[in-house]
Amino acid sequence: MADEFPFEISPMFEGERVRKDGMYVELAGPKSKGFELVKSVEMDEIEDGKFTLIGPDLSAMEEGSRHPIAMIYRIAGELVEQDLEAIVERRNHDFQNYIQGVMHLNQRYDIWIRVSKDAMKKGLNSFEQIAKATMMLFKNELPFIEKIEATYITDLAEVEKELDGAIATYTARDERTRDLHDEDVDVFYGCTLCQSFAPTNVCVVTPDRISLCGAINWFDGRAAAKVDPEGPQFAIEKGEIIDAEGGEYSGVNDLAKSLSNGEYDRIKIHSFFEYPHTSCGCFEVVGFYIPEVDGIGWVDRDFTGTAPNGLPFSTMAGQTGGGKQIVGFLGIGINYFRSPKFIETDGGWDRVVWMPKHLKDKVLADIPEDIVDKVATEEDATDLESLKAFLTEKKHPILERWVEEEEEDEEVVEETTTAASTMQMPTMTAGAPMMPAGLGLGSGSGSGGSGVKITLKNAKVSIDRVIIKKSE
Amino acid sequence: MTRVIAITGKGGTGKTAIAALLIRYLTKGNKIVLAIDADPDTNLPETLGCEAETGIGDMREFMLNERDNLPPDVNKESIFESKIYEVLTEMPGYDLLVMGRPEGSGCYCYANNLLRGIMDRLVKNYDVVIIDTAAGLEHFSRKIIRDVDDLIVVTDGSRRGLRTGERIRELVGELEANVKNIYVIANKVTEANKDKISETAKELKLELIGAVEVDEMIQERDLVGSPLFDLPDDSVAVREIENIAKKLKL
Ligand SMILES: Nc1ncnc2c1ncn2[C@@H]1O[C@H](COP(=O)(O)OP(=O)(O)OP(=O)(O)O)[C@@H](O)[C@H]1O
Ligand code: SF4
Ligand SMILES: [Mg+2]
Repeated sequence: MADEFPFEISPMFEGERVRKDGMYVELAGPKSKGFELVKSVEMDEIEDGKFTLIGPDLSAMEEGSRHPIAMIYRIAGELVEQDLEAIVERRNHDFQNYIQGVMHLNQRYDIWIRVSKDAMKKGLNSFEQIAKATMMLFKNELPFIEKIEATYITDLAEVEKELDGAIATYTARDERTRDLHDEDVDVFYGCTLCQSFAPTNVCVVTPDRISLCGAINWFDGRAAAKVDPEGPQFAIEKGEIIDAEGGEYSGVNDLAKSLSNGEYDRIKIHSFFEYPHTSCGCFEVVGFYIPEVDGIGWVDRDFTGTAPNGLPFSTMAGQTGGGKQIVGFLGIGINYFRSPKFIETDGGWDRVVWMPKHLKDKVLADIPEDIVDKVATEEDATDLESLKAFLTEKKHPILERWVEEEEEDEEVVEETTTAASTMQMPTMTAGAPMMPAGLGLGSGSGSGGSGVKITLKNAKVSIDRVIIKKSE
Repeated sequence: MTRVIAITGKGGTGKTAIAALLIRYLTKGNKIVLAIDADPDTNLPETLGCEAETGIGDMREFMLNERDNLPPDVNKESIFESKIYEVLTEMPGYDLLVMGRPEGSGCYCYANNLLRGIMDRLVKNYDVVIIDTAAGLEHFSRKIIRDVDDLIVVTDGSRRGLRTGERIRELVGELEANVKNIYVIANKVTEANKDKISETAKELKLELIGAVEVDEMIQERDLVGSPLFDLPDDSVAVREIENIAKKLKL
């Protein structure tokens, strides 16, 4: 079928670059204008295979010149729907690159195309040939397209006239994409690029959780896994839902186990305290539990000071990295702050008490309105005392936990004292791992750990009896 | 098949000059060349007589800064690729890409992974790729281009310079790099040290592929700061580079 074209068509030509020396014309690109757009329409609105050109054709263009171009494809078919437009549109890049002598870069209103002199010598002389070849590939490779029609525009005024409409379409599309959530998909993506220095680290990327390095979102994972399923990004079947709120899935657990060499076998994607996601050291932001206020603070790489717990980013990053599950610290990508599932199971934003000002400003629009003024920054609090004062003054929802905590503390004390046959006083400097009171202290002053000091404020400690025995 | 040649050596030995003269030779022979300046202290463009304001490093930074603002489902590789093409300086016979800004803090794993893929594809479009790297950056450039056919160590003829060559040889061994051949070019050679250099090279078991004498024409150009790319054919350095290129079967 390709015989009708004066050029070869093959994926082989995909990486082909048309250099300036060998270029006949340049279309759109950084120094001109243009866009590509796919629109879904009703079957009777278009005529299959039809091509319309508005503006000068290739043959009328001078060698070495530059022109704007818009490429609009209208597609129809029983299965064609609006949601497919973006997927179809992105293929224009692939298909035009299949054409020998045509280089297509980028997408949307950033497209940049070059046609080579060689191709022109071999008989390419009209956009119609390129459009027909592209439409043929669309129909062959995406059989749900039953009808396709193309309009190319090379007249600047006409391109500009259509551009606003195209941009509106892209914007609307992006809004729909941002609305994709964990529950809407069956597959998550994993990444093991960083296993070279954190051998047990596995990043799980879901629609509601960007990778902790901030570089890979669910769509990137999907794109990479499709190109190279054996590569560093790969699909993870969700499997059974074990904990919807915490984000625990059997498929993720299975994979975590095998990829971490059995180091851990459960991951809760949206949990800070229970089976948290591992951190390889690449995270943009690290979250840290502040037991004194039972809240979570966040600090990013660009923050050079110390957080209210007295530690700088680098120290906490050191604690967090290495591909282990470290309860009390969590590495995340900045975009995770924008996720509706952001540490949902731990209270979400209501649990956040502190972050650096520049980081807060970055995600300001995505912080729930009722909490935004209650999250402290280094301008409000630099140590625990000032943090507590700020949270109290602002009536941060975390205060509710303090009340609960006090009650719990009393219970703990009672339990331990009645059970105490040996000295089991809740120590004031429990060497417990960083856990919220409900976890760490509820189990009765935990075992040795990172040497974190947990201070019980306002805890009424009553002791019936203290028996001191010599250890045998 | 594209031939990939990386040029390294101690500071000031003449890596950039040799790179420029090799590119000069190749383009005269109608080879299409991709020149890469991997030295963060960019000076290959000047030596070639062209301009390159931004480099790969800046575009990588652009990707890092913009990633949260890009539409969520865009193909980041295709955008990154286009950005790299934007900073390619296109000259008759060769294209030039400068590395520029080195990595900052933060995670570059993904960006560099995309970059390697893009470079793999780009490199295939050229007959020869010449990489000018600063000493000790062999590793750095290999992060971006996986396979190097020939590593050329430039030394200024001093024993210390040759020792550097030996060290690089060891380093490459440790890296288990995909480097097929390692050669040494002695540069700024004088009548007085000529024989000494070849002896030392032999002792150190380095393959000396050429010796470029001190070239007065280069020195003259240094004084006025003009490029070496258009040195006349009868320049001493140009002639020796021609010999070297032939030995390398370029
Ligand atoms: N054969 C030669 N004869 C005379 N001068 C030379 C010769 N080769 C190089 N030079 C000069 O020596 C100086 C250093 O050369 P060049 O910049 O190429 O070295 P380099 O190894 O790239 O340095 P850097 O490590 O700073 O990048 C330059 O002024 C250059 O013009
Ligand atoms: S931090 Fe980023 S690059 Fe590294 S493994 Fe995770 S997702 Fe991959
Ligand atoms: Mg140099």
